[in-house]
Amino acid sequence: MIKNSTIHRRTCLKGVGAALALPLLDAMGWAEASERNAYKPPVRLGFMYMPHGVIMEQFWPTDAASFLTSPPPALDSLRPVLDQCLLMKGVSGVPISPFSGAPHALELSTWLTATLPDPDKRDEISISISADQIAANYVGAFTTLPSLELATMPQTWKENQEGLNEAYYSHCSFRSPTQAVPAETNPRNVLDRLFNQKEQGSGRASAGISALDRNMLDLVLGGARDLRRTLSPTDQRKLDEYLDSVRSVERRIAAIELRQKEAAMEKAGVRSSRRHESDSPPIEIKIPEGDRRSEYMQVMCDLNVLAFQTDTTRVCTYIGSTPNGVSYPELGFNDQHHSQTHHNNEPEKVRKVAAITAFNIEQFAYMVKKMHSLREGDGTLLDNCIMMWGSGLEDGDRHTRENLPFILAGRGGGSIKTGRFLPDVKGNQGDLLTTLLTCAGIPLDRPIGIATKQLTEIPANV
Amino acid sequence: MAVFVLSVFWVNPSTCMAQSADDGARAARKADAEKYFRNHVAPFIKTYCLECHQNRRPTEAGLNFNPALKSPGHAAFSEKWKKAAARVKAHDMPPDGLEQPTEEERQMFLEWLDKVKYLSPQDPGPFVIRRLTKTEYGNTLHDLFGVDPKITDAMPDEVSGAGYLNSLSPLQLEQYLSIADQVLDQAFAPDESPPTELQQRLFGEPPASGDDARKAARKVAESLAKKLYRRPASDAELKVLEDVFDLGRHNELSYPASLRLMLKAMLVSPQFLFITPAEGFDTKAEIVPLDDFQLASRLSYLLWATLPDEELMTLADSGKLREPPILKAQVKRMLEDPRSRALFDGFGAQWLGLGDLGSKTFDPSKFPEMNGAMRLAMYDEARLFFEGVVRENRSIASFIDSDYTFLNENLAAIYGLEKLVTGTEMRKVQLTDDNRGGILGMPGVLAATSFPNRTSPVKRGVWVLEQVLGDHVPAAPPNVPALEKQDQHSIAHLTLRERTELHRSDPVCANCHRLLDPIGFGLENFDAIGRWRDQDDNGAPINASGELPGGVRFSSPSELKAVIAQRLDAFARNLVEKLLAYALCRKLEGYDEIVVDELMQEITQDDYRMQTLITAVVTSYPFTHRRTE
Repeated sequence: MIKNSTIHRRTCLKGVGAALALPLLDAMGWAEASERNAYKPPVRLGFMYMPHGVIMEQFWPTDAASFLTSPPPALDSLRPVLDQCLLMKGVSGVPISPFSGAPHALELSTWLTATLPDPDKRDEISISISADQIAANYVGAFTTLPSLELATMPQTWKENQEGLNEAYYSHCSFRSPTQAVPAETNPRNVLDRLFNQKEQGSGRASAGISALDRNMLDLVLGGARDLRRTLSPTDQRKLDEYLDSVRSVERRIAAIELRQKEAAMEKAGVRSSRRHESDSPPIEIKIPEGDRRSEYMQVMCDLNVLAFQTDTTRVCTYIGSTPNGVSYPELGFNDQHHSQTHHNNEPEKVRKVAAITAFNIEQFAYMVKKMHSLREGDGTLLDNCIMMWGSGLEDGDRHTRENLPFILAGRGGGSIKTGRFLPDVKGNQGDLLTTLLTCAGIPLDRPIGIATKQLTEIPANV
Repeated sequence: MAVFVLSVFWVNPSTCMAQSADDGARAARKADAEKYFRNHVAPFIKTYCLECHQNRRPTEAGLNFNPALKSPGHAAFSEKWKKAAARVKAHDMPPDGLEQPTEEERQMFLEWLDKVKYLSPQDPGPFVIRRLTKTEYGNTLHDLFGVDPKITDAMPDEVSGAGYLNSLSPLQLEQYLSIADQVLDQAFAPDESPPTELQQRLFGEPPASGDDARKAARKVAESLAKKLYRRPASDAELKVLEDVFDLGRHNELSYPASLRLMLKAMLVSPQFLFITPAEGFDTKAEIVPLDDFQLASRLSYLLWATLPDEELMTLADSGKLREPPILKAQVKRMLEDPRSRALFDGFGAQWLGLGDLGSKTFDPSKFPEMNGAMRLAMYDEARLFFEGVVRENRSIASFIDSDYTFLNENLAAIYGLEKLVTGTEMRKVQLTDDNRGGILGMPGVLAATSFPNRTSPVKRGVWVLEQVLGDHVPAAPPNVPALEKQDQHSIAHLTLRERTELHRSDPVCANCHRLLDPIGFGLENFDAIGRWRDQDDNGAPINASGELPGGVRFSSPSELKAVIAQRLDAFARNLVEKLLAYALCRKLEGYDEIVVDELMQEITQDDYRMQTLITAVVTSYPFTHRRTE
């Protein structure tokens, strides 16, 4: 029976053509040949960002021994799932020379690239592909969305620090060295996208992109190739990004068709290999009415959970807020995040920054706890995820980046040993990203950004 | 090295354009520049710069003079010459502790900036295809299908940096598909229902049964493509559209539904989403004039942010649009059309720094009046003023000083004119206060250059220097504490002015801040949202006096305005450079400097009139030409 569905999968994929690089099936969690012939859920990778660093005394645990029993105040919300978490101190950021300023454009743009923007082409986007997009290239082919990018504020910022392209201020995902990936900020749009449907004005929902679209796009693509031949080399490169996007949407349509076929088979009584009967049903999404920041951030968390739970995507990057600043009236003050981070140790400002940090970690905790409550396979959804929370600065007051704050949650399908605090990891953020992608089973042809090694303390010794 | 990568595009001067007299003068200036470089600049660099800024990794501050020593006129280096000159001028470089050049040597290095451009061959610069912005895309759909331009609201927001607008992500493409569906759902009747008027106009009569539907579809494709691609489609392009029509038929779609699929294909084609050249030019020439259709698109997206109208397309059809008198007449016509507000929304707002005023944070307890309506009024004041200068073809000196502005009741309160103006409508108001009038006294500008809770003389100073006078202000050196971080005890009794003046007690800061701060202080009578005040937050009297380098003194905003009005030429040049860069969608470099020199002559001769300035930019060499490779 399982074999049967595999044939469908192949038939379907044939239509996608040579553009589709087939990943190794067994590394993806699609293996069928394990001893008990059981479906092993795939590993999912999630990244959640907060700008401007933390109040370090309130973030770092005192020592490894007390981590679980008396965690620092910033981690309070994670208490129930601390045994699912891993903290490591000593991961340094990318050295910013030759830049001398622009700390906030750099904290975000280097976060998943571990690479500095090219100082000779500051006004363009010229950096490197980010870790989440490397992962999406590899595991994205079998899900209806290769990756999901979320944010809770518009990605525009008209500030041009050190001549750097404005996109560096509000983007951390890069599909290619020259292409920033915009994020969805509207939960309704995300929901439509996850289920490939569009609510029409009259309230009737129509199917989103369809098979006919795929064939139509194929023809458009052919025409675009003709056009390409008449363009200059620079223009050709620009058009290539268009072509690449068309191909990516074609792949998405193919993946949607595959899902539809599977669903039809399941209806006809052919059991899918994907889900266990004991798996939790998909969570419900409630789009908030008001403008409370916590509700907005949490519905985006829910969408991330749902996308992972339904295996709609295996990679999600969530910019909790961009460095251009947001305020948190729920915490009882209207100051903007950034203005408070330059606190010069004034107790009032320190208190506010600590509250903002705890608030952001609380949203992450909300997401992680939800994942922990959902059954999947032999364990929980969280067991099969690697969720990384972090910031691109250590101390927002002095813009330091020696010990970037990161929290990992989830065991990555057994590849990561959690419930620990590693007080002295010697490595950089490239090393960390390289290690995480490796734990997720993604083969890398080169280290990510400035990485020179794997952080061997992180993986579980299987 | 990026510098060398770019050398692929290093083209020879185009000989077809030049006139022999100009040629002689140009050659003489070039020889002079080369000599100046050899005798003065190269030795200066070797003595004072090269030890740090040379060809090695990592490059010191990303600056390497080795390629510049070999080809000093290379376009890729022109921005770096400007920055280097700014640093040398500010005594920022060479750093303390290293051998310092004499004042004469510094002066010599600054003068190089006026000469380096003569090394550049005539060159319209790179022309990279770009996709329509979210606004342009929405307007274009509106003009084609009558839908609300807001239909594009779900698209990701855009930043305006170079490079971003050229790229396109899968998310965007999916949205293009979905928006295409929405547009067609709104504009067209469902299958089986009688067609809408627009549908009839675009699709014509369906072929009678028995007629060749494919042939009819091709005719429709031809006329639609001309509209959507903004130029006649090639045979190959029509073939693709025919194939899409066939695809519809094979999938048992009706004739109109197949046409609709074809239209949808056009809406997601690069020919629609990008501004692309028509085919067919002399491939042997390295530089060619833009074809008339491309010129029409470039022009209409610049001035209207939408597709060319019929008049432009007709002129393009007849090949006449490029003729200077016709092009100039079209610019005038287009500027007088209400659609030209796009020039403010796209360019003016960005120039004045008002693009983010709507979302900028202000301390709500201190400035409760900064609500949405007030921000909009501030934006509209600047917009109406800008549009007035354009449509009435006033001198750009009005931007520096004028005796009128546009207010509604809300905004009038900021001016203290609430008794004079009632109602929410914006209208023209005569001003009597010399401190107001012009962009320097506009609340929107003053608010955009403030912090959420107080004024920033430094930000305002930078704004005047960069946005008004076009100077380069080097970025602050690293590790300088912002005001908030100064030792709170030692500064507790100081006014903001005195605290800011601490910048100038530190030699590292002093170089730039002795230039920046006095300008900002000159505007201190305006609070963080542009209200007049005689005392600061702590009740101390405002001291708005200052002195610019060179000894020009002023003691109020109106005197500062007068000082700046004396530098109308610098202001005009800055405006030309900014508009030209915006029109070309790239930064200026190399030969562009010479272009600006020529435009400036034209503009100065016509008393700095705004329409002349815009027309000069639109008829300029780089706007009307492109490289072929």
